[in-house]
Amino acid sequence: MKGNKQEGFKSRFLEVLELPKDIVLDLPRITVTGKIGVFIENHKGIMEYSSEQVRINTSLGLVVIKGQDLVIKYVVADEIFVEGKIEAIEFEE
Amino acid sequence: MLIIKLWNCLRGYVIIKIVGPYCERLINQASLHGIYLWDITRLEEDALLAKVSVRGFFKLRTLVRKTKCKVFIVQKRGLFFSLNRLKRRKLFIIGAALFVAVIYVLSCIVWSVEVNTQDEALKISILSDLEKWGLKPGVFKHNIDKKYFLDKILLNYKNVAWAEIEIRGTKVIVELVNKEMPPQIEDDTPCNIVASKDGVIEEVLPLRGEAKVKPGDTVSKGDVLISGSVSLAGDDQRKMLVRAKGIVKARVWYNESVEVPLVEFVKSYTGRVKKAYKIKIGNREIYIQWGDVKFPKYIEENLQQRYILPPSLGNVSFGAVLYREVKEEKRFLGVEGAAEVARKKLSEKLEGLPQDVQIVQKKMEFTLNPDKQVVLGTLTLEVIEDIGVEQKIN
Repeated sequence: MKGNKQEGFKSRFLEVLELPKDIVLDLPRITVTGKIGVFIENHKGIMEYSSEQVRINTSLGLVVIKGQDLVIKYVVADEIFVEGKIEAIEFEE
Repeated sequence: MLIIKLWNCLRGYVIIKIVGPYCERLINQASLHGIYLWDITRLEEDALLAKVSVRGFFKLRTLVRKTKCKVFIVQKRGLFFSLNRLKRRKLFIIGAALFVAVIYVLSCIVWSVEVNTQDEALKISILSDLEKWGLKPGVFKHNIDKKYFLDKILLNYKNVAWAEIEIRGTKVIVELVNKEMPPQIEDDTPCNIVASKDGVIEEVLPLRGEAKVKPGDTVSKGDVLISGSVSLAGDDQRKMLVRAKGIVKARVWYNESVEVPLVEFVKSYTGRVKKAYKIKIGNREIYIQWGDVKFPKYIEENLQQRYILPPSLGNVSFGAVLYREVKEEKRFLGVEGAAEVARKKLSEKLEGLPQDVQIVQKKMEFTLNPDKQVVLGTLTLEVIEDIGVEQKIN
């Protein structure tokens, strides 16, 4: 509860100052290119990878990319780029 | 990302197979340690394929021990490895080096000399002289002393105002600008002014010498107009020879006629072309072309020819031939049309007259000649012009 309160306060504070939330709140930024690519910044590691499903850890929890022929195009410290036939992107708490 | 890909291709990269129950851990560790992994694909249940740079691969090996995975190299790629492989193929390297060397040496040789000038005769004589002086196909272009040849050209050809030698690739281009020679200085050789055309004298203005004709006289070609032999005052026997000078204006008639047929054949290009190549060895010509020329009528046009070997080694040239299809059209002009064409042709001839003539009368006539199916156009022109020309006194 306390965390939530703090989050709410932070987010209101940011709204007033109009600061980019993803940076200050340490949120992942997910960019989806059509149905062929997902680009995630600020991730915290790959939990599972197969050609049907990629589970990526972020500060929100897990981001699950489902699809076919998934390929991790590249991965560096805080960026990851997944390509393939994307079918769904889910968030798991 | 293309830059990174190119860089990796140059530096070399390896395709690795990661085998282990928890390969993702290795990937995470790698990305945390700044190792760039790309194109990761799942191969089997517990095997991944990935690409990593050579340096990254060595760093990865230290991580492998921690994560209990195994890493195998599937393939080595990139320039770094290609060069390594090349080390074993000595003859190939020698061949490649030889090829580069031969190309370099061949590009050092002058293959053709070109002279750019309007004057065709000058071009030919300069080309042959340059060859005599040592600038010809087959010499090394680095040995060409441009200044030496320029000086030689300018010294030997007085009518060349400016010259420039440019070496473009394997071609030497000599640019020339002709000089307008100043008018010849008048010398004292005695001369008469004689008529260059038949005509009726209109005006005589002797500047030096004795006028032999007066206005109204009829002269024919070659008649003396102003004599260069001047009789001294009071003495008919003693004569002084001078160079006669003066203006003699005369009325001169010109007749021009043209025939224009009533039916005209017009050749025009249809735009369809076919290209063929021609190799000339000595006097033999070999044509290389795909299919026949299917045009009913065409004009053969030779495009530029290039010598494959320097002329001293043999006369082998390569050139392109262009066949242009032409269409012949019959056009009926009619009497009016033909007369119009005749008028145009005559007008063109009028423009060809010297600048300083004064046209007194102009008459154009058009008559139809039914036997030959032509329109005959005649132009009668009456002009006043200077008909005097100098002629040496023997």
